[in-house]
Amino acid sequence: MVYGQRYKEMIMGKFKGSAAAGDLSLALSNDELHILINLVEQLLELLGERNFTHHYQSDDPFAQLMNATLGNIQSPIEQPDDPVLRRLLPNGYADPESAAEFRKYTEGSLRTLKQKHLLYLREQLVFPVDHELPKADVKITDPTQWLIAINDLRIALAVRLEIDENGYEKYEVMPDSDPQKHLFAVYYWLGGIQENLISHL
Amino acid sequence: MSSQTQLEETLDLSKFFDNLWVTIVWDDPVNLMNYVTYVFIKLFGFSKEKAHQLMMQVHTEGKAVVSSGTREEMERAVQQLHEHGLWATLQRDDHG
Repeated sequence: MVYGQRYKEMIMGKFKGSAAAGDLSLALSNDELHILINLVEQLLELLGERNFTHHYQSDDPFAQLMNATLGNIQSPIEQPDDPVLRRLLPNGYADPESAAEFRKYTEGSLRTLKQKHLLYLREQLVFPVDHELPKADVKITDPTQWLIAINDLRIALAVRLEIDENGYEKYEVMPDSDPQKHLFAVYYWLGGIQENLISHL
Repeated sequence: MSSQTQLEETLDLSKFFDNLWVTIVWDDPVNLMNYVTYVFIKLFGFSKEKAHQLMMQVHTEGKAVVSSGTREEMERAVQQLHEHGLWATLQRDDHG
């Protein structure tokens, strides 16, 4: 785990209101909104990519439909290939056989929940009506869903960037010319949003 | 079944331990300490102190048992922890 206090100051003063009063909001620039929307949509796409019909190489649409329905109930589900999905939809048991059995009954609903939280966040991310405005006050109507969705974005980025316990130290000495530097910056910026959000609950 | 047999079955501790499962949360380099504490309070109703202590145990020892109960209850707990992005598994309690 990481101590998030040091990311907190990156987002200082961007939050207004309180969760208790129901008027919590976060000021985001149009650029920041673009980045966040982009990340949410990419992760939604990744989570939605497991289509059960892909497991069956039949061209008959009816067979695909039947297999898709049956596949939900009967066929064992392999652990996803993508490392991001492996981390977001992890094994529930150390023992591979029990893990596969558990996945068969739970992976679908876990995916659906994660998609639901991300879709909620996506709907919250609206640009200001007045396009001349430099910042939007994005309403945080459900802080818990925000937290979960932002956390999943952080996990996805961390897996792609191979961020470990020493990630921040690595980021600090990274030259500006490094093409990954801005992605690391986004990752720590999301950490700042999350840490501030927790303190506003 | 006589009430005597029922009583003996209830008192059979080995059977009790066979039915005891635990949920383990594993350390990872992404989750924020305050977030993990928040999730423990939210899902298990722990006090802030208890949640913080368990979070620190995960952080320093690499893992901690956060809940125990029936297999079904632990499967539910693991699903909820996964929903919140924590890395969790369940297993039979090895103290049995």
